[in-house]
Amino acid sequence: MVAFLEIDHVDKIFPLADGGRYVAIENISFKIKQGEFVSLIGHSGCGKSTLLNMVAGLERPTVGGVILEGREVRKPGPDRMVVFQNYSLLPWKTVRQNIALAVNAVMRHLPKGERRGVVEQALDLVHLRPAADKYPAQLSGGMKQRVAIARALALRPKVLLLDEPFGALDALTRGNLQAQLMQICQESQVTCLMVTHDVDEALLLSDRVIMLTNGPSAHIGQILEVDIPRPRHRLEVVEHPSYYSLRSDMVYFLDQQKRASRRQRRGQVIQTGTGAEAVRSQATLQIATSMSLEKNSLDLGFIPLTDCAPIVVAQEKGFFAQQGLEVTLHRKPNWRAIAQGVINGELDAAQMVAGMPLALTLEHIGTAPVPIVTALTLSRNGNAITLGKHLLAAGVRTLADLKVAIGRDSSRGYGLGVVHPASMHNLLLRYWLAEGGIDPDWDVRMSILPPPQMAVNLKSGKLDGYCVGEPWNARAVYEGTGYVVATDLDLWDGHPEKVLGVREDWANRHPKTHVALVKALIQACEYCDNHEHREEILTLLCQPKYVGAAPDYTRLGFLDAYDYGTGDPPQPLPGFNRFFQGQANRPDRLEMLWILTQLNRWGITPFPSNWSDVLDRLVYQDVFNQAMQELGHDPLGHAGMPPDATIQLFSGPAFTPDHPLAYIESFAIKHPNAGQMITVDLPTAEVA
Amino acid sequence: MAISTSRSQPTLPRWLTRILINLQKRSKQWLLSASAIFLFLLIWQIICAGDNPPLPPPTKVLEETWDLIIDPFFDNGGTDKGLFWQILASLRRVAIGFTLSAVVGISVGVLIGSNKLLYGAVDPIFQVLRTVPPLAWLPISLAALKDNEPAAIFVIFITAIWPIIINTAVGVQQVPQDYKNVSRVLQLSRMEYMSNILLPATVPYVFTGLRIGIGLSWLAIVAAEMLIGGVGIGFFIWDAWNSSLISEIIIALLYVGIVGLLLDKVVDFIGKLFTPGGQQ
Repeated sequence: MVAFLEIDHVDKIFPLADGGRYVAIENISFKIKQGEFVSLIGHSGCGKSTLLNMVAGLERPTVGGVILEGREVRKPGPDRMVVFQNYSLLPWKTVRQNIALAVNAVMRHLPKGERRGVVEQALDLVHLRPAADKYPAQLSGGMKQRVAIARALALRPKVLLLDEPFGALDALTRGNLQAQLMQICQESQVTCLMVTHDVDEALLLSDRVIMLTNGPSAHIGQILEVDIPRPRHRLEVVEHPSYYSLRSDMVYFLDQQKRASRRQRRGQVIQTGTGAEAVRSQATLQIATSMSLEKNSLDLGFIPLTDCAPIVVAQEKGFFAQQGLEVTLHRKPNWRAIAQGVINGELDAAQMVAGMPLALTLEHIGTAPVPIVTALTLSRNGNAITLGKHLLAAGVRTLADLKVAIGRDSSRGYGLGVVHPASMHNLLLRYWLAEGGIDPDWDVRMSILPPPQMAVNLKSGKLDGYCVGEPWNARAVYEGTGYVVATDLDLWDGHPEKVLGVREDWANRHPKTHVALVKALIQACEYCDNHEHREEILTLLCQPKYVGAAPDYTRLGFLDAYDYGTGDPPQPLPGFNRFFQGQANRPDRLEMLWILTQLNRWGITPFPSNWSDVLDRLVYQDVFNQAMQELGHDPLGHAGMPPDATIQLFSGPAFTPDHPLAYIESFAIKHPNAGQMITVDLPTAEVA
Repeated sequence: MAISTSRSQPTLPRWLTRILINLQKRSKQWLLSASAIFLFLLIWQIICAGDNPPLPPPTKVLEETWDLIIDPFFDNGGTDKGLFWQILASLRRVAIGFTLSAVVGISVGVLIGSNKLLYGAVDPIFQVLRTVPPLAWLPISLAALKDNEPAAIFVIFITAIWPIIINTAVGVQQVPQDYKNVSRVLQLSRMEYMSNILLPATVPYVFTGLRIGIGLSWLAIVAAEMLIGGVGIGFFIWDAWNSSLISEIIIALLYVGIVGLLLDKVVDFIGKLFTPGGQQ
């Protein structure tokens, strides 16, 4: 990189009144290319303005130096024009006179007429000709800052230095000025160094963002490259795939800095205070635990379903807080939004349907592969297959009955709903249909719908049935529009239903946070499986911000006996929602492999020849084991895949991991592309 | 409704409407002031009614000084001159003394304001000298200058100069760092800095000093003239006292007050002319 401006190992030390020294900035080095826009960001008092003033030459570094085009900066000069936060316009001069003062002072060699031309050009650049003869006191803040920018640019500086240029302006003016500045910089290829505390401003304007740690001894914490192409527009930038991850990186960094300084301050209190040591040392311990996490504030996505209970409980009962996590829950409308949120970094982690990590890691229709990992199964079972009441009237009580009904009027095209291609609902419903001799791709019409819309579609006749998690089956039963023909206890009792999914790079960058998150959720799961708590959890779940369903039907199966809606008396289904008992939380490679065979069977994902490596990467057994051990549970070391383990569904062959392809081949009903093997190049894991 | 009524009225010229609105706005203020003055005069009249009052009542003052009021321009030679001439003589002394103190005061102020060392050295001296009452300077200036006229002018000069020096010096020190930074970045020469930044930034402070200065000069001249004699409003008052013409003293006091107020307003007005764009 050709260094145009170089900040070379700069320290700034201020002498203190008591004879001590205050090290404001320590050992800062970076280089800026010509035409580059670089932002300095950090909390107030981190010395970012001091650094800018040293580039301007208004202050001298104590150690090190600033080099512009091979020459050391020793004093201020017009080749490094500064735009100050408070505009610094001379109030006794008009807009034109303010600019003219600068132009006349700096461009002495030019004839008078030419200098006047430069002034007028600068006025036009910021569209201030109508205000040219006004005094600064007659201008708004935004106009004043435009004058300051015009004054700076009129001198054609090599470097434009901006010290929180838009800090004092309202949001609307700020947006307009940012756009203008961007355009001017683009057109005249000015090299810019800007100090700001606004994350979005830095992202919008900069090619690189340099983040400074808190003072004293502030240094460079992290440098971010902003790879968003130019010209940029405010509204488009936020849609760029990198935007949210860059933004969250910055917010995370600033957040960490804030916590660090708070800890420092609290540390001092503890040192100087006396008495109540026990309480304080406990407080310190708590802070120490949370400090050791790479990230404390997390964004977690969920879908309104009964089995989001562990997430709601972890939040409401303080399990997250106990682990030093500050979690914001995001209720998403559908599973695609969950996947999108995790991929673009808006969400740190999310509740996912069991097949989603695999589907996203492998190539899945319409999305580029993004490695997703899981270290925790959040829930097992909890689904049912609901059919419309008209089928009950037609005498459909079993799978065989349904086959007959479909065969009777094949032209009708029965519509069945599932929530996501990679969800257990889809895979189990298809398996069930196929076992009954119904080809889900030919004999019925399968459609993807968000869980909360299932019952409504059944009511309106757009669907004849669906497979979904509760309370959306119970709702159809409760409203009298549907009945449950089978629960997943009838299909595969104890199948993994929801898992905790995070991006692989996230997991590698935040190993401790990941363990803490898993710990909090395991505690919550344990809490959920104590039936004495179910009534309380039901009340929590039914709040509008979570599931927002009526407790009358949400309680069925979760708390009370399960009503199939067939007129038979409700039956108790004790294992219908399983969150903890029977090793429910263990992420299992064998189960993932079964899911993989089914995803491939129905042509949803290819089957990787290196499936064993893929699963090794995907299932974070270690994180789960560590979390369980730290909680004092026995993780029951399912580290490897036990050779004798098999999965047996209600019908069909037993599944063993030995010959997954043969298992797929053994099914009569499958997608024409099923069984195709490809080699998946796993992207190399980034370990921070 | 509002439109139809305003249309039905005959339209007045714009300037006239503006004056009318202005008057309307101010009339309440005027009315209040006028009634206060009237009340004051009334009470005075009541207290000073009867035989041998301590002060003549307003009616008597007006009656006795009527000649002075209607003819301020008479000149019978010596000190027997109309009030206009008396005031003009005083103003002349103030003009000379005050101009001198403004020139010297601003120069010294800029000098010590821009030099921390010098400021530290002389500030204690100034702090002591500025508290000396104007009249206390009179004997020493008479002794040094040996003549009434220059002595009176010196008293004005020495009275007015302290607030001018101190305010100017503070103004120079208070030039915002931002403006200095602008000058440093633009690499302005010393002269350019003075004329474009230092002086304009100091103007409001200087004029605050000048306003205090002019008030003090007027204060000083009246007192000084009582002692040194000659033509002037101060001596006029003293002369009237010696002749027991209480009514003349009262009318002269009124004139002194009005002139003092006008002087202050004039300096303020000039100050506004020198600060275009208003100061932040």
